[in-house]
Amino acid sequence: MKFSYFHLMPWTELDEAPQQWPASNQSFDPARGKELYDSYIDTMAFAEDCGFDWVGCNEHHFSPYGLMANCNLIGSVLTQRTKTIKLAMLGNLIPLLNPIRVAEEYAMIDVMSGGRLVAGLIRGVPHEYIAYNVVPGESRERLREATALIIKAWTEPEPFGWEGEFYQYPSVSIWPKPMQKPHPQILMSASNEESAEFAGQHRAMMGMTLIADLKIAQRCINVYRDAARAHGKEPTPADILIGQNTLIARSDEEAKEHLAAGLNYFHKVLMHSIRDAMRLVVQKSRFFAQEQYGERFVNRLATLNSRSIDEMIEAGSVLCGSPKTVIKQMKRIQGELGNGRFNLNMKIGNIPDKVVRTSMELFRDEVLPEAASL
Amino acid sequence: MKFSEEKIDLATGPVRYLKGGSGPAILHLHSAAGPRVSPALERLALKHTIYMPTMPGFNGTPAHAGVATMDALADLTADFVRATIGKGCDVIAESFGGWIALWLAVKQPDLVEQLVLEAPAGMRTKGIGGLPTDPAERNRKLYAVPERAPQDPRFEEVMPGNGKAAAGYNKGETLDAELLKALPQIKARTLLLFGTKEEVTPVEDVGRRLKTGIAHSHLSYIYGAAHAIEFDQPERVARLVGAFLERGEAFVVRTAEVA
Repeated sequence: MKFSYFHLMPWTELDEAPQQWPASNQSFDPARGKELYDSYIDTMAFAEDCGFDWVGCNEHHFSPYGLMANCNLIGSVLTQRTKTIKLAMLGNLIPLLNPIRVAEEYAMIDVMSGGRLVAGLIRGVPHEYIAYNVVPGESRERLREATALIIKAWTEPEPFGWEGEFYQYPSVSIWPKPMQKPHPQILMSASNEESAEFAGQHRAMMGMTLIADLKIAQRCINVYRDAARAHGKEPTPADILIGQNTLIARSDEEAKEHLAAGLNYFHKVLMHSIRDAMRLVVQKSRFFAQEQYGERFVNRLATLNSRSIDEMIEAGSVLCGSPKTVIKQMKRIQGELGNGRFNLNMKIGNIPDKVVRTSMELFRDEVLPEAASL
Repeated sequence: MKFSEEKIDLATGPVRYLKGGSGPAILHLHSAAGPRVSPALERLALKHTIYMPTMPGFNGTPAHAGVATMDALADLTADFVRATIGKGCDVIAESFGGWIALWLAVKQPDLVEQLVLEAPAGMRTKGIGGLPTDPAERNRKLYAVPERAPQDPRFEEVMPGNGKAAAGYNKGETLDAELLKALPQIKARTLLLFGTKEEVTPVEDVGRRLKTGIAHSHLSYIYGAAHAIEFDQPERVARLVGAFLERGEAFVVRTAEVA
């Protein structure tokens, strides 16, 4: 089993939920922002010392949910703060961006880190399409074309042009090219069956998060495996990354207490207005090609919001407890899903950084020695 | 766009050709499937006059004595250009026609102003790519968007004869070693077009060879196209080729009109 340490870089200073999306930035304090960036980057670099294989960054817009509008900036910093850990950009929201810029920035991170990039080519969650004013119904086809273009930009030995549906570039030749050959490993989201099929078709690694039901998650993974096989790739456990909100403490009770507080801030404050924006996009656009997937997405968010910690543990949505408990929970999920990677998000909502550090140390000292051999 | 069928007598025999559009002349050299007016050509004909000669032996036309090789077809094409257009012009060539166009650009540089090669033949390593004999697999490699494939019923009648005619000229070869050596002589600015789903003349083999060999060449991918790019993605082909022919090397500079 391999482990990734994931960070959302949340804003922790709100007393009440923003009432609408996008959230007003009136209360943003740059000095506090500087402290948070310093602390978060220290924590992410510390993941290398704790034995994690990857450290994961991501991209979100217009919200205190996360302060990484461009995760490549954080990835760039981490190239200089770490030596061996893979830098997983999970990832750039490709349909919103200039794919050539993505190819260039990812290549820079790969070269600067000595070939440690994991390249997430991600569609993103629905409300991000309001932020960057991109038609949600075009998201899948934009991702398909941009992915093909990015791979060409990484691999073509000579300048080339591209005449596509969404992208036209008469002359492309990026500097630098990535260090990894033929190109960095690609990871795509597979949190619903549509996405899972897409990831498999592209022979990418798959990432899944916000699990509300292990049986549904299993179905997605099966769709991914079938699509990958149909396109010439035999997926291994290492191709399957399962994201989990995680809190490891000395006792189960202590872990549950911290996680409950953090999730309360996450759901009641950070996610409050986002949910409305997501629902609006899902209901008023063709973000999901099939209506049923849109309904499932909205229902899944509502389900996750309404459950107790014990219910979340039972559903396979979180890892929470003492080291021994968390190892048991990991074994159970791995047994159900066959994943070879976990992506652990420990800074949930406003959980204090000190608690997060303790969770990471317990992972290093008491979880990893046993869980690595799962 | 209406194309008329016309005929001209050359020294070696008569040549039928399609002519349509208005504006500066474009010579279009057809693939081994024979002459076909694609939706891409219809778009280009809005600003250009297109001349599309039927190579002898294709579509049931008689062969010409002494015209039996690819470079001989280039000589015949040069005669055709002089007799119809009367001066050098831009050339667009598909697959088999690309082989002729390459020889034309080598042997008659004054007749080729700008050159567009769409997945050209003649530069392919034997055993790599090519068209299979199974009809379904063949169609899959030709058309990424099957519903856009030409539907003309006469096409099925003439196809076997056209295939034989093509094989008669290229003698079953896929890589013209003499032509390969001569590529550096090509002076015309050249646009090399390949579909992102190209499997017949793989870009890694054919595209690289041409890009390296032709000094002023530019390789572009047509997203979502297989071998028959003019049919698979007519809008993308016409947009790019139109810009290239009208603006030369400045086609890489975006304009408000293109936007």
